[in-house]
Amino acid sequence: MKRKIALLLVFVLMFATFAAGCAVEKVDNEEKQESSNSQDSDVIKIGVFEPLTGPNAAGGALEKEGIELAKELYPEVLGKKIEVVYVDNKSDKVEAANAATKLIDQEKVSVIIGSWGSGFSISAGEVIKKSERKVPAIGTSCTNPLVTKNNDYYFRVAFVDPFQGKVMANYAYKEVGAKKVAFIIEKTNDYAVGLAKFFEDTYKELTGDENAVVYRAYYQTGDQDFTAQLGNIKESGAEAIFAPGNFTESALIMKQAKELGIELPILGGDTWETPEVIEIAGEAAEGVVFSTFFDVNAELTDTTTEFLEAYKAKYNKEPAAVTALAFDAYLLALDAIKRANSTDPEAIRDALEATKDFPGAAGVVNFDENGDAVKAAVIKTIKDGKFTYLTTVEPN
Amino acid sequence: MSKKTKLTLISIIACIGILFILNSTLGSYQLRILNLCGIYVILALSLNLINGFVGLFSLGHAGFMAIGAYTSALLTMPPEAKEMNFFLKPIVPWLANVQLSFPIALFMAGVLAAGAGVLIGAPVLRLKDDYLAIATLGFSEIIRVIFTNTQSITNGALGIKGLPYIGIFNKASEAIWWTWGVAIITIIFMALLINGSYGRAFKAIREDEIAAEAMGINLFKHKLMAFVIGSFFAGIGGALLGHLMGTIDPLMFRFLLTFNIVLIVVLGGIGSITGSVISAVIVTIAMEALRVLDGDMQIGSYIIKGIPGTRMVVFSALLMIVIIFYQRGIMGTNEFTWDWILKRQKKISEPLNKEKVS
Repeated sequence: MKRKIALLLVFVLMFATFAAGCAVEKVDNEEKQESSNSQDSDVIKIGVFEPLTGPNAAGGALEKEGIELAKELYPEVLGKKIEVVYVDNKSDKVEAANAATKLIDQEKVSVIIGSWGSGFSISAGEVIKKSERKVPAIGTSCTNPLVTKNNDYYFRVAFVDPFQGKVMANYAYKEVGAKKVAFIIEKTNDYAVGLAKFFEDTYKELTGDENAVVYRAYYQTGDQDFTAQLGNIKESGAEAIFAPGNFTESALIMKQAKELGIELPILGGDTWETPEVIEIAGEAAEGVVFSTFFDVNAELTDTTTEFLEAYKAKYNKEPAAVTALAFDAYLLALDAIKRANSTDPEAIRDALEATKDFPGAAGVVNFDENGDAVKAAVIKTIKDGKFTYLTTVEPN
Repeated sequence: MSKKTKLTLISIIACIGILFILNSTLGSYQLRILNLCGIYVILALSLNLINGFVGLFSLGHAGFMAIGAYTSALLTMPPEAKEMNFFLKPIVPWLANVQLSFPIALFMAGVLAAGAGVLIGAPVLRLKDDYLAIATLGFSEIIRVIFTNTQSITNGALGIKGLPYIGIFNKASEAIWWTWGVAIITIIFMALLINGSYGRAFKAIREDEIAAEAMGINLFKHKLMAFVIGSFFAGIGGALLGHLMGTIDPLMFRFLLTFNIVLIVVLGGIGSITGSVISAVIVTIAMEALRVLDGDMQIGSYIIKGIPGTRMVVFSALLMIVIIFYQRGIMGTNEFTWDWILKRQKKISEPLNKEKVS
């Protein structure tokens, strides 16, 4: 009896979850007809793998918004309907590989878009490289150089960490006028480690001083207390702090730096462009400078305007940079299919490689020999509790 | 040769035959899942030896897997691939040009993981229950942090990509023979170990440590032995997983990975080899098969909009149902044996015989 009750409870629970979360829509017969027809060849399939659940679900959701919006605006190419197949990679590398294999082998997609998080993209890249049916992939906000390195089938619409590091080094030297900097780096984050390395290289070149980086502090994801590192930085004689890392920890760093009376300019990367930074750091976030992909005020191309208007109309909020990148990835895929005039993955790959001056919402895209986008970076600051546009840095 | 050994041999040959057929008919997606099943069988068995048979609640499996995966990756990758990966900080010279064949690297992966097992086991196995769980959990986190920080050996947080295929001939179709080959060897090894005198000692320790010691069983020696064997196979499983994926990074070996394996072991039955095998296959396949639930579903003329994560909800509910009805896992501590099968056959055929007589 007890078991029966328990079983009943489980079913009630399951049903409740479904009922609470599911939107049931009635479809008329016409639409139904269409969806059942979608198995035919007059549909072009684009696969998207994103972390829709798990620790990185927030990032995946932002990118999904961009792809959904782009699909609404451009639902067709070559006179055929586009079907977007979403698969969840559960913020897990093994699942990402499974998801990518499913897209290639089961869904037979023509091109793949994704993902938030470099690890998942690398995982999918390996699958593509070793698969018999090779499908080109367009990375959205994965910035680890390893994603595209040595892989002819992976492209990306974001710039890579090395470029961002360079941009911030230039900014620190030329705009801030700092002769010596200190680092505080999230060691467990590939992105932060890469950024710091290329910042250092460029900065040493600019200053001509081998010891321009006076102090390097490291921390782990999830650390809460940075006062020891910040205390050392205060003593080190640095004129600016470069602190690439996850937004929560970075916000705490800003806050604790302020509490310790450190008045140095704090520089960072695109991860800081989240409302949480301002929420957590509050006053202390004022004046921090970071590089990112995109800004509402830096109208990079005509597509930017189109994207902004459509996004505002649909979601009624300010878009995140990664949403713009996902939007671009979808448009670029369409553009490549159009230029290839075919749904054959190989032809699309060749077309992608030949991309020239593609106008995306987050800047003009050209690919270098690795398949990485060469594009402008935007520098922003936080002023009066708001992200404020400073300047645009063109690639050289 | 007894009847049972014959049956065992026949079933192994049948397994190989089935694998051969599957390998030539399935698509790359199904094959990947099948390979993952094999790897999870190895991992589940290695954890079950420690957790199930000796009763040491260890949560350090991801750490051993990380050691195995990195060892095998660094030993098999060609020098060019290493150079490509280590673009931030060059790899240490003594590793840069090492390239061993896959079987040797795989064995080394196991040996190094086992070595770590000795190092961590010797001090930690004096602890019991929850304290042991915490200590081993800490160990696996320490391994992860070390691998994140030794950038010139492991490439730190950036991870490594471009691991060669599983096997010696550099072909994708070879993987299944290695994953399931090692899995079958592991199953046989575990079965022999558990049914031998060591196995009885392990179980005695699990049931009552003091009684076991009174019977003359060297507690520490046996515990350490199980721990080291478990970590050896965990290292091999980790190495196979790394090669199947083609890429590894420290974040992969979080506590979540250990948790997955613990889940398989508990679901299958703590202390049952058969249970671990069955549940490793079921869990791996179910997670992929339930993907259908994430998408839009059409029932009649209604479309239910898919919500990502639905499969996890359903999966958890299924787990709850299994645990409610089979409180000790699918198999409990029972095993699949030929005696059991033969007895059942007898039971079925007996009434028939009686009828014939009458």
